[in-house]
Amino acid sequence: MVNPILLIVVPLATAFFIPIFSLIWKGGSKYLALLAALFNIAVASELLVKVKNGPIHVTIAGYKAPIGIDLLAGHLGVVFALIISVIGFLVLIYSISYIKGGWLDRYYALFLLLLAGTTGMVLTNDIFNLFVFFEIVCISSYILVAYNQDSHGLEASIKYLILGSIGSTLFLIAIALIYMKMGTLNMADISDKIGGIDSASRMLIIVLLITGLGVEGALFPLNSWLPDAHASAPSTISALLSGFVIEVALIVLVKLTYSVFHATSILVFLAVLGVTTLLIGEFAAFRQENIKRALAYSSIGQIGLILFALSLNTEAGIRAGMFQIINHAASKSILFLASGYMILKTGSYLYKDYRGIAKKMPVSAFLFAVGALSLIGVPPFLGFFSKIQIIMAAAATGSVLNLWLIAAVLLGTIIEGIYFLKIVIVMFSGTGEELSFSGGAPFGAVLPIILLGLVVIAGFVFLPYLNTVNTSVAQEIVKHLSLAQLF
Amino acid sequence: MHNILANLVSVEWIIYIASFGLILTGLFIVFTDKNLIKIIIGLDMAETGVNILIVAAGYIKGNTAPIFSKASLTPAQMTDPVPQALVLTSIVIGFGVTALALALVVRLYQKTGSLDVSKIRGLKW
Amino acid sequence: MRKIVGLLLIFGFGFYLVTIIGPVVFPSSTGEKASVGVEVLKNEVAEVGAANTVTSVVVLYRGFDTLGEVTVLFLAALGLTLLMKGEKHLQAKLFDESFILKTGSYLLFPFMILFGMYIIVHGHLTPGGGFPGGVIIATGYFIIVMTSDVVRLREGLVSFLEGLAGLTFIGLGLVGLFKPADSFLFNFLSKGTFNTLLSAGIIPFIYAAIGIKVGSELTGAVGNMFFSPYGRQKDA
Repeated sequence: MVNPILLIVVPLATAFFIPIFSLIWKGGSKYLALLAALFNIAVASELLVKVKNGPIHVTIAGYKAPIGIDLLAGHLGVVFALIISVIGFLVLIYSISYIKGGWLDRYYALFLLLLAGTTGMVLTNDIFNLFVFFEIVCISSYILVAYNQDSHGLEASIKYLILGSIGSTLFLIAIALIYMKMGTLNMADISDKIGGIDSASRMLIIVLLITGLGVEGALFPLNSWLPDAHASAPSTISALLSGFVIEVALIVLVKLTYSVFHATSILVFLAVLGVTTLLIGEFAAFRQENIKRALAYSSIGQIGLILFALSLNTEAGIRAGMFQIINHAASKSILFLASGYMILKTGSYLYKDYRGIAKKMPVSAFLFAVGALSLIGVPPFLGFFSKIQIIMAAAATGSVLNLWLIAAVLLGTIIEGIYFLKIVIVMFSGTGEELSFSGGAPFGAVLPIILLGLVVIAGFVFLPYLNTVNTSVAQEIVKHLSLAQLF
Repeated sequence: MHNILANLVSVEWIIYIASFGLILTGLFIVFTDKNLIKIIIGLDMAETGVNILIVAAGYIKGNTAPIFSKASLTPAQMTDPVPQALVLTSIVIGFGVTALALALVVRLYQKTGSLDVSKIRGLKW
Repeated sequence: MRKIVGLLLIFGFGFYLVTIIGPVVFPSSTGEKASVGVEVLKNEVAEVGAANTVTSVVVLYRGFDTLGEVTVLFLAALGLTLLMKGEKHLQAKLFDESFILKTGSYLLFPFMILFGMYIIVHGHLTPGGGFPGGVIIATGYFIIVMTSDVVRLREGLVSFLEGLAGLTFIGLGLVGLFKPADSFLFNFLSKGTFNTLLSAGIIPFIYAAIGIKVGSELTGAVGNMFFSPYGRQKDA
C-alpha cells in the first residue's frame, strides 16, 4: 500500500539532498525537484483511486491515534495533494527557463519545502502538526517573496512576516487553550470532546484559529500583505501563492470549523466576511494599473467568493466552492505565468504598455484571455460552471441574506469582467509595432501554460467526474470527525 | 495575613500575569511602534508569552520533571511531558522566524537607509 | 491616535483572555488531569524505554513535529544564506583582540564541542538533546569567530553535514515503513537496558542526527551573518 506520508517526506528529503547534490553537480537541482514533484503526482493519483474505499488513516511511529501523530488522507487531502503537485510540477517546468538569477539550488529547495508544507497542512490530523506545517509554508513564502532581493520584495516580505507572526502567535494561544481544556491535540479527539467544554472557551478557540489561519488565508481585515507579496514575488511564486497556498489555508480553516469544532453558527459571519472580501478585492483590482497587483487583488476577490461558497452550510455550497478552488488554481496560475514573460520582455509592470502584445506572443496572450474569461465566468470555460454552481447553491438555501449576497457577488463579477476585459482588449489591440522586443516566451515556459489552458478550456468534459469527487469532499467536510470512525 | 496572601497569589496568577503581560505588551509594540527592530522584539515577546502559556498547560501542582532518573520515581509524581515537547518546537520555530526577520531588516536597511516603517515607501498598515 | 487605538485593542483582547483563560486552575494531582501526556507517562517506560520522557515525546510520539521543526531551522538557514551572502566576503578585523582572549577561545573550543556532543548523546537520559547540544557546538564556533580574524567557514562541509543529517533522520524514519509495522519513524531497534547510553531504540541515533543538523545549520547561519558584506561595518 502506498503510504500518504511519502507525499510529505519525499519532497522534504529531496530538499535536504539538494545542498549536497549541488556540490556534485551544480545546476542539477532542477531535475531533482522535477522528479520529486512527478513522484508526488504519481502517489497522489494512486491515492485518489484508493480513497474511494474510505479515508486512509496512517499513524506515525506506530502509536495509536490520540497518543501519537496521525495523517488522515481523505478525499479532501488527496484532491488537494494532487492540485498542489500538478501546479507545482508545471510551475517548476516554467521556472527552468524563467528563473535565471539568484541562488538557483536554494530556490528549488525552498520550492519543494513549500510543496511539502502545503501537502502536510491538508493531510495532517493533528492540530499542532498543522501549526508546524503552517509555519513551514509561511517561512518558505517569506523567503521566496524576497527571492529577487529588491527593495519591493524585501518590504513585502517583512510586512508578510510581521502579520504572519501575529497570526501564528494567536494560533498557538488557541492550541494552548485546547490542550488546557481537552488534553488532546488530535483533531478527531478534539471533535469528540469539544461538546464537553464551556461555550465561551470554544468561542475563543474558534476566533483565535480563524484569525490565525485567516492571515494566511487573506480574509478581509488581515489581507493587507497579499497584494504587496504577490506583486513583488517572482511570477512563478505568485502563481503558487495565489494558485494553492491561500486556498489551502482557507480549506483547512473551513474544515476545522465544520468537522472539528462543529461551529456552524459562525458560518453566516464567514459568508458575509467572504462577500466583503470579494467586493473589496474586486474594487481594488479595478483601480490598479500594475498587472501583477491587479491579479493579486483579483485573488483576494476570488478568495472571498470561495469562502462565501464554502460557508453556505450545505453540501452543494462546499461542492461549488471546491470547484471554484480548482478553477481558480488553474486560471490564476495561467494569468501569473503568462504575464511573467510579458513583464520580462516589455520591462514594464503597467498593462497599458502591452498594446499589441498579442501579435508578438500570440499563445501567451490567447491563454491569458482564456484564464481571465474563466475567472469572470464566461461559458464554456470551467469558471462558468463553478460560478453557476455557487449561485445555485446559495439560492437553494432560501435565506434572504444569501439573496443579497448573491447580488453582491454578481456586482463583483461585473467589476471583475470590466477590468479583465480592459486588460485583454489592450493586449489584442494595436499592430505589435509599438513593442521593440522580438521573439516570444521560450517553449519550456509556454508548455505549462498550454497544459493549464487545456484544463480550463476542456474542463467541462470532465464535469461529471469533478462533481463526484467534489461531492465526496463536501460530504467529508460536513461530517463530524470522530476517533471511533478512524479504526 | 499570610493566608490572605496565599489566597490572592496563586501559581496560576503568577503564570497568567507573566504570560498575558508578555503577549499583550509584545502585541502593543507591534501595533504601535514604527521601528522595525522594535516590532521584531515585540513579536519575540509575544512568542515568549505564548510559550509560557503552553508549558503551563502541562503543569501539575507539586510534581517534578518527567525524567525517570531514579528508580523511586513514579508517573504520578511527574508533570505532563507533551506540552514541554510542544514548547521546544515552538521555541525553535520562533527562533527561525526571528533570525529571518532580522536578516530581512538588515537588507532592507541597506537598501532604503531607514528602519522607520512610515518612511519606507510601501509599508503602511 | 494610533497608540490609543492600539491600547484599546490590547485591553479588549487582554480582558477576553483573562476572563476565559484566567479561571482555569492547574490540577493538583495527576489523577485530576486527563490528557494525552498522562497516558504517555504511564506507558512510556514499557513502550519506548527512555529515561527522559520529554525526549521520547519529541523524537517518537511527536517525531513528525520534530521533523517539521528541523525543516523550519533548515529554512531559516537557507533564508539567511540567501539574504546575507554578497559577492565578496569581508575579511576586515573588527578590533584588535588581545592575545589572551584569542588563546583562551582556542582553548575553550574543543571543550565546548565535547560538551555539546555529551549533551546530544545523553538526550534520552538527561535534559538536553539535539537542539541544545547543537546550539552549544555553534556557540563554540561563534566564540572563535568573535575573537579571531583568521577563521573562515568551510561552507561546503557545513551544507554537506546539514543535508546528510537531515537525510539520516528521514532515512531512519523510512526504515519503519518496510517493517511489518508499516509506520513512519517506527522504533525498530531493541529497547536495550533502561537508563544506559544505548537504550530506547532509535532515539539516540535520531537525536544525534538532529544535533549535527542543528549544529551545522547554526554554524552556517553565524558564519554567513558574520562574513556577510551586510553583516558588519568596518570601524572607522
